[in-house]
Amino acid sequence: MTDTLTTLPPGTREHLLSPVTRAALRVQHAITTGARDYLGAHGFQELTPPLIGPVTDPGIRGSKQVDVDYYGHRYKLMTSVILYKQASLLAFDKIFYVAPNVRLEPLETADTGRHLAEFTQIDVEVRDAPREQVLELLQGLVRHIVTHVLRERRAELDFLGRDPAAFDALLSTEFERMTHRAAVALLRGLAHGQSSDAEIDWAGEKLISEQTDRPFFIVDYPKGSRGFTDGESSAEPGVLRNFDLIAPAGFGELASGGERTHEYRRLIERMRETGENPAKYAWYLDLARDGLPASAGFGLGLERLTRYLCGLDFVWQANAYPKLPGIASP
Amino acid sequence: MIRAAGFPEAAVRARARGGPAAVFPDAEGYGSAVFGAVAADDLDDIRIVPPVFVPHRLEKMYELGREPIYRDVELARPVGGFDSPVPVFVCAFGSTQVGSGLGVAVSEQAGRLGVPMVIGENVVPMHGYGRVDAVADGLLARIRAYGRSAPDGLGGVVVQQSTEDADAEVWNLVYSDPDATRLLDSGRLAFELKVGQGAKPGLGGMTVLTPAAAAAVADRYAVDDSLGELVLRSSSPGTFTEEILRQQIRLMRNNYPRARVWVKLHPGRDIARAVAVAWSAGADAVTVDGAEGGTGWAPSVFLDHVGLPLAECLSRIGKPDGDLLVSGRIWEGARALKCLARGATAVGLGRAALVAAAEDPADGLVRLVDCLALELRLLLSALGKYTPDTLTPDDLWSPTVDQL
Repeated sequence: MTDTLTTLPPGTREHLLSPVTRAALRVQHAITTGARDYLGAHGFQELTPPLIGPVTDPGIRGSKQVDVDYYGHRYKLMTSVILYKQASLLAFDKIFYVAPNVRLEPLETADTGRHLAEFTQIDVEVRDAPREQVLELLQGLVRHIVTHVLRERRAELDFLGRDPAAFDALLSTEFERMTHRAAVALLRGLAHGQSSDAEIDWAGEKLISEQTDRPFFIVDYPKGSRGFTDGESSAEPGVLRNFDLIAPAGFGELASGGERTHEYRRLIERMRETGENPAKYAWYLDLARDGLPASAGFGLGLERLTRYLCGLDFVWQANAYPKLPGIASP
Repeated sequence: MIRAAGFPEAAVRARARGGPAAVFPDAEGYGSAVFGAVAADDLDDIRIVPPVFVPHRLEKMYELGREPIYRDVELARPVGGFDSPVPVFVCAFGSTQVGSGLGVAVSEQAGRLGVPMVIGENVVPMHGYGRVDAVADGLLARIRAYGRSAPDGLGGVVVQQSTEDADAEVWNLVYSDPDATRLLDSGRLAFELKVGQGAKPGLGGMTVLTPAAAAAVADRYAVDDSLGELVLRSSSPGTFTEEILRQQIRLMRNNYPRARVWVKLHPGRDIARAVAVAWSAGADAVTVDGAEGGTGWAPSVFLDHVGLPLAECLSRIGKPDGDLLVSGRIWEGARALKCLARGATAVGLGRAALVAAAEDPADGLVRLVDCLALELRLLLSALGKYTPDTLTPDDLWSPTVDQL
């Protein structure tokens, strides 16, 4: 196990002057370039992301939102743009954002190596898409990004000691789908006490990721583990039509997504099931009452993907001004 | 002048004069009075009935090698996932004026006793948290006071959240706060989902505010100026179905895996089903607040006419399948023992804790709990029993109920 002290970023100057930081940020630039190429070629409209709003995504596993005083109204910094993604499908059928998010994560996540309080997601949403369609889209997107990075940033990967053979399976085989139920059974078989009706915990996520050499999807999380926007299966009540993309070799979750709750009455029910007060989602519910499109999509963590492609020890190495949970830094 | 002997003439005249303000207790008393049932109830009618033959005492004598006495009674037991030296917890009181003035005093004493303490809803929305700008009686001040005085390994703080509190993200705030770390690291933090309360079943929290204070919260709460010079601020009761309750509990377990999960229910007619749903969804404790429960403010009609008495709740629940915590007019050992014998794991002090802390902010609550604990020891010993978990309904006799 890594010593906690070594898991923290150095000072700003040292971090910015580090050749590792510079190599990682060059790879990151290639990731966003590759993503924009791929999504643009597939008919996606890029939108600039809203930064504040009266509400934001509440489905963030115990993280605190950041309040903003907006002319006397309590606004939130975006924890994710999910509500705006759904709304934007009124204008375009396929959209994406490269969107900054802020989540005051629980302090225990400061040394997972996978959490930042401020991070960026490539946030994609497709109107009328079933889950399977966005799973294939995400697989295609990740493969394109990896191919692009291997072509454009080979020198940086060599400098970072990242063997391109690490991506052979990713580029050549279909990403497996594993149900949450199967993931729980696998973890229990590894003597990890994973709850069957909760999110895969931080330690379990790392453990399950270490069991493979290629990315895979965990699908069908149980209701009660995610926020109200994750759509519930009509065929299997209690099962959500969602997924996570898990990177191999201990890198863990790269993306989350799924089909969305979009019908007004279901949104009201799911808000209450997740302890939310519908009153504060007035603008969103007003849209839903008049009809929000069915959709599916995902958010792909930019720093996490950078960390995985570069083979970095910690996700903060993939951010120029990293903010770890609970640690005050610029 | 018309007279109507035998008719509640005075009450009718009060409503005719005062309008809707007369539906509530006199607002003059707000902030210095607490309300709740005053009349004797079925629990009061029950008698504690020691037997002649005491096999448990013989067992205790084997263990001790001498005759057991009341000081040999062991009251410590797990309460809702925490270790408590007595089967007692301190009930939530939150943003009402009377509760908030004493919040820190009660917290310090509850911590010193090592008994679990619930911090009521609406403290954060009404008083603030107190991290950036210190708030004298805010949530953080109460958590700090408890944490400073609590002995290692004993007790725990339970932070309540209701529907409107979700807007302020009370649980998220506490779960990621450095000041809660000591409690969290030692497994002594819980979150309580407030579904309802005994003094006003089916209603949300209520406080009385000045017009200026009400204007500041009008975007978050229903405010009603029919009280005259003061304004009534109401929380919504929150909408619950079995599925909503089940999923909210699961989400709490999912989002806060290191915190315990408590649920507080009002004495609804489906109380047995509600506690079963809560336990099966994974709640570490379910609190049933009987209709005798106290409050800082409630409409008189609810205080006098609404909700099941605690005794009836205990009858309907029967043998509990999990930790059952109860509250409602509890302040001494007899009522506490009757509840324990009918299945409760622990009893909650609400009005009693406030009055005791008001009597002596330094030690009043500690002394009150010492008295209750002494009475419990005397009563248990008289029953020939030496731990609360050995109590059964056989230890009680009711003149009105054949089978307790």
